[in-house]
Amino acid sequence: MLDRAPQETQDETRPRPVAFRGAGFTPSAGRYSGWIALALVIAFWQLAGSAGWVNALFLPPPSAIVAAIYKLALSGALWQHLSWSVMRIGSGWILGTIAGVIVGFGIGLSTLARGVGITFISALFPIPKIALLPLLILWLGIGEEPKIATIALGVFFSTAISVYSGVDAVPRNLIRMAQSFNVPFHLIVRRVIWPGALPSILAGFRITASVALLLVVSAEMIGAQYGIGAFVLQAGNLMQTDQLLAGVVILSVFGLVVGKGINLLEARLLHWR
Amino acid sequence: MTGFARLALASLLAIAASGIARADDALKAKIGVLRLSSSAPVFIAQDKGYFREAGLDIELKFFDAAQPIAVATTSGDVDFGVTAFTAGLYNLAGKGTLKVIGGMSREKAGYPLIGYFASNNAYAAGLKTPKDLAGKRIAVTQVGSSFHYSLGLLADKYGFKLADIKVLPLQSLSNAAAALKGETVDAALLPVSTARTLIDSDGAKLLGWVGDETPWQLGAVFASPKALTNNALVTKLLGALVRADREYHDVILASVKDGKAAINDKTKPLLEIIAKYTILPVEQVVGNCAYIDPDGKLDVKNVANQISWLQEQGFVDKGFGVDAIIAKEYVKAD
Repeated sequence: MLDRAPQETQDETRPRPVAFRGAGFTPSAGRYSGWIALALVIAFWQLAGSAGWVNALFLPPPSAIVAAIYKLALSGALWQHLSWSVMRIGSGWILGTIAGVIVGFGIGLSTLARGVGITFISALFPIPKIALLPLLILWLGIGEEPKIATIALGVFFSTAISVYSGVDAVPRNLIRMAQSFNVPFHLIVRRVIWPGALPSILAGFRITASVALLLVVSAEMIGAQYGIGAFVLQAGNLMQTDQLLAGVVILSVFGLVVGKGINLLEARLLHWR
Repeated sequence: MTGFARLALASLLAIAASGIARADDALKAKIGVLRLSSSAPVFIAQDKGYFREAGLDIELKFFDAAQPIAVATTSGDVDFGVTAFTAGLYNLAGKGTLKVIGGMSREKAGYPLIGYFASNNAYAAGLKTPKDLAGKRIAVTQVGSSFHYSLGLLADKYGFKLADIKVLPLQSLSNAAAALKGETVDAALLPVSTARTLIDSDGAKLLGWVGDETPWQLGAVFASPKALTNNALVTKLLGALVRADREYHDVILASVKDGKAAINDKTKPLLEIIAKYTILPVEQVVGNCAYIDPDGKLDVKNVANQISWLQEQGFVDKGFGVDAIIAKEYVKAD
């Protein structure tokens, strides 16, 4: 008995090799998987078009879209459209972001601003900006102002919301510690709250950059002669479906470029993470 | 035995005959239209039973813009469409997805449809006639629309370049009206129905009517390729429409004076039909009567001109002419 018992326990307590399980979920963007999936979808799309499974009018094949973009680039109109849209998106986004960051910090830091600001944001954010187009035309005319204002308005609300939730999410104990060390208010904002809120502010930028791209189409409904949005609208009005999709592809490439830009910005500003 | 065989044959024939007869009196079709008086004959033919008498079972599908009707005809959601020519319609027709089978509304002198309107400031500064529109900022709904083409015709008539005009596409009639009222454009081309409230509230000034300056073929009846294969259906439909065209022309258009139809015992029943389908009071319908040829003729020469103008502007794909989009066997040319 005595001889056997330790042997049994030894058997049970013998270290069993267990694979490391606690790796967490860390999806990392694969280098190729995204591109391969994209290429497969495009190849299938082209096949459907070339084989005549779908009418080219209802879904132009990728080759027709590429041809439309090439023609557009060759005529020089592409650069004209792009430069006008970049100007509108850029200035609208910058104006909306500056105002949004200021208001967002106000809401995050002051009781009065919080009460007033959240009420107004909740009341005004859900208004569809397109419904206001006739009014925007009456107020601001049909020059660049209403177009930039449309984009800036869309960007402003999302930015303000993401900034104040970012400020709210900064750990209170860090702020309390700074306060007990008698750090002045502006330094707390700059050294503690700003870096703490930055991750969610940058996440907000990612959304607002897309919002600006979405809104450029409705902004350019207002008497624009050039611009990617105006080009897409015109192609839709004229039932030139290949050009319509060409405009859409340009917009989404633009979105990819902006996304990459924000990645770079995150890598630089958030290197401490 | 032979008696039985005869009986069987006779009953078979009877069944076949009744089948044909049933198919014959139930030729079903859908027509896509706008709730505008420029489609008046369609409403008259439907309401007074002309389609039914011709052996057709017609369902009207209402749309809120011209372009979707052309798209719906292409996709087969409607068999026929009655609406204005647009660049989008020509682009679809050029790909063979629909064909024109008859004429509908026209811009014609004495029958106000689309007008040139000046903002109050521009009017005060000397914009008094359509000729003065050269070099001005003018709002239209969309590039390649009826309004844009009307401007092109005006430029040809008075010998100025369309490029001298700043054409501003504002996407909707309400946007164009707002821009005109807000003095951010010098002028706009608007249909009489949209402009009436502006003029009544003194928000803009009328410069003239497109029909008086440059008459042209505004609207048409067109059919999907599937409907075109059914000869009996198309012939009967056009027959019923021409009957209504003739009645509309002889009763309502004949009474038009100073751009307004008279309201009397003869015109009242027809005006009430139009009012019912356009959801407008009769008093507004009378000032909004599009000219329609009594024989349903199409101004083929003008259609050819529209196509080549739109192709020159780059709004319509090159490589087809008027012959490619017209079903010659049905169209009566002007």
